[in-house]
Amino acid sequence: MMDIRRIISKIEKDYIISNLRKEERIDGRGLWEYREFQIKNDIIASAEGSADVSLGDTKIITGLKYEVGEPFPDLPNEGVCTVMAELLPLASPLFERGPPDEQSIELARVVDRGIRHADCVQTKKLCIKEEELVYILFVDMYVINYAGNLIDAGGVGALTTLISAHIPEGVWNEDKREAEWTGKYLTGKDIVNELPFVVTYGKIDDMVFLDPSLPEELVCDGKISISVTEEKITSIQKSGAATFSIDEIKNLGEKSLEIGKKLRKNLNLLQYLSNIE
Amino acid sequence: MPLLIKDEYPEKLFRKDGKRLDGRSEKELRPIKMEVGVIQNADGSAYLEWGNNKIYAAVYGPREVHPHHLAKPDQGILRVFYRMATFSVFDRKRPAPGRREKEISMIVSDCIEPVLFLELYPGTSFEVFIDVMDADGGTRCASTTVAALALADAGIPMKSLVTAVAVGKIDGKKVVDLSGIEDKAGEADLPIAITWYNEEISLLQFDGDMDLIEMNEFLNDAKDALEKIHQIQLEALKSKYLKLQEDTKNVNEEGD
Repeated sequence: MMDIRRIISKIEKDYIISNLRKEERIDGRGLWEYREFQIKNDIIASAEGSADVSLGDTKIITGLKYEVGEPFPDLPNEGVCTVMAELLPLASPLFERGPPDEQSIELARVVDRGIRHADCVQTKKLCIKEEELVYILFVDMYVINYAGNLIDAGGVGALTTLISAHIPEGVWNEDKREAEWTGKYLTGKDIVNELPFVVTYGKIDDMVFLDPSLPEELVCDGKISISVTEEKITSIQKSGAATFSIDEIKNLGEKSLEIGKKLRKNLNLLQYLSNIE
Repeated sequence: MPLLIKDEYPEKLFRKDGKRLDGRSEKELRPIKMEVGVIQNADGSAYLEWGNNKIYAAVYGPREVHPHHLAKPDQGILRVFYRMATFSVFDRKRPAPGRREKEISMIVSDCIEPVLFLELYPGTSFEVFIDVMDADGGTRCASTTVAALALADAGIPMKSLVTAVAVGKIDGKKVVDLSGIEDKAGEADLPIAITWYNEEISLLQFDGDMDLIEMNEFLNDAKDALEKIHQIQLEALKSKYLKLQEDTKNVNEEGD
């Protein structure tokens, strides 16, 4: 068991900070280095797509379920994709039971916005009959072990889940006025276009570093999460009480595109496409 | 909410060759895999794969009781929270805990409590969180089994482990360890748990119909299956320490 408290001792905080001043991390990483990602896809038989993603000791299981229902009136030919996150009390003594708290809502919303504004999910392909019936996708994340930086792990989890999707393909029957299953499946190939990666940095004093671990997250003044596609920034979330200078933000934008490119290449998420017929 | 594929059950639960739909014989268990110490943050934890069931359990405690009024001055309390992930079942489950989850939490708690020495921990609580990531029948039995394992992994004094399994009747035949389909389409389902220190039954529910002869046979079949599962539990606990031993040996050898 790790010794986890909400409050970190002054001596440990000083240790983290003095290391950062030397551009070192307490776990031996460099300032701009991720912990290791481990990805398993399609692990849940009951789900229409799933992923088990570890980032260091942080572990998140994500699953996809679908329903069919009426589209929103202002988007009559587009399906819907929602993201939910739950910080299970199983994952850390810091998590409590009860309705979703700020941290879990932030996790879900930042991942959701990263996906939504990146042209990731092809919502127009999730339409079965205009104004009548569309797919509603639920991407639900469950945190199994919390060791810092849930957002980046959750982002990769949600992407892998969508890529590994195998959703029954529906066709509209005008006589019965309902949808029928064609016997085929929509896969990640049909519904996923762009792959947006979320890149999160922590900030203590004037030092910024990538992928905060749990002790770093507990002592840091604040964080900033930047979602990037190959060419563009698609969402930003600054959280915590830190402030960032304009130059810092410019630098981090550039850095994020660079790190996003590396992640895209190293993780090669398209290998997790479902090959169901 | 409607889906495109209906959750239908086949008419027959046995194949032409006399085997069950998943190829098992009547008294055969599904493949079971257990591992302890899977959640680094927890005081104790375990992971179980039982057929398509995938379940995590984590134990925190003894720790302060929240809310405080639940604390007992003369003994500790055991609280079990069984939850299912939204994607663990055919129709997406609503995220908030439902009546079924609360009932199972209570049943599992009542079933495990007899093996603990709660009187040694006045004013504290043990919390066991069970999260079902994938469900395929018999989750209450699987949850009991994995929860007991997590408590043992936490090093909490126990009189013995607790093991559970379901026996039941499908297409008029008695079978052991019902799968999801067999559970829904079968005629009878009898989840049963045993506390090994006194070999007594500590969880028992039944839905269906049986006569007295059948009941005796059910109990005997269950006992045989429980013994097999108990061995897997013990192996899982041992293997963690065997691995530690192996690792230290390697480190020592490298040191030489």
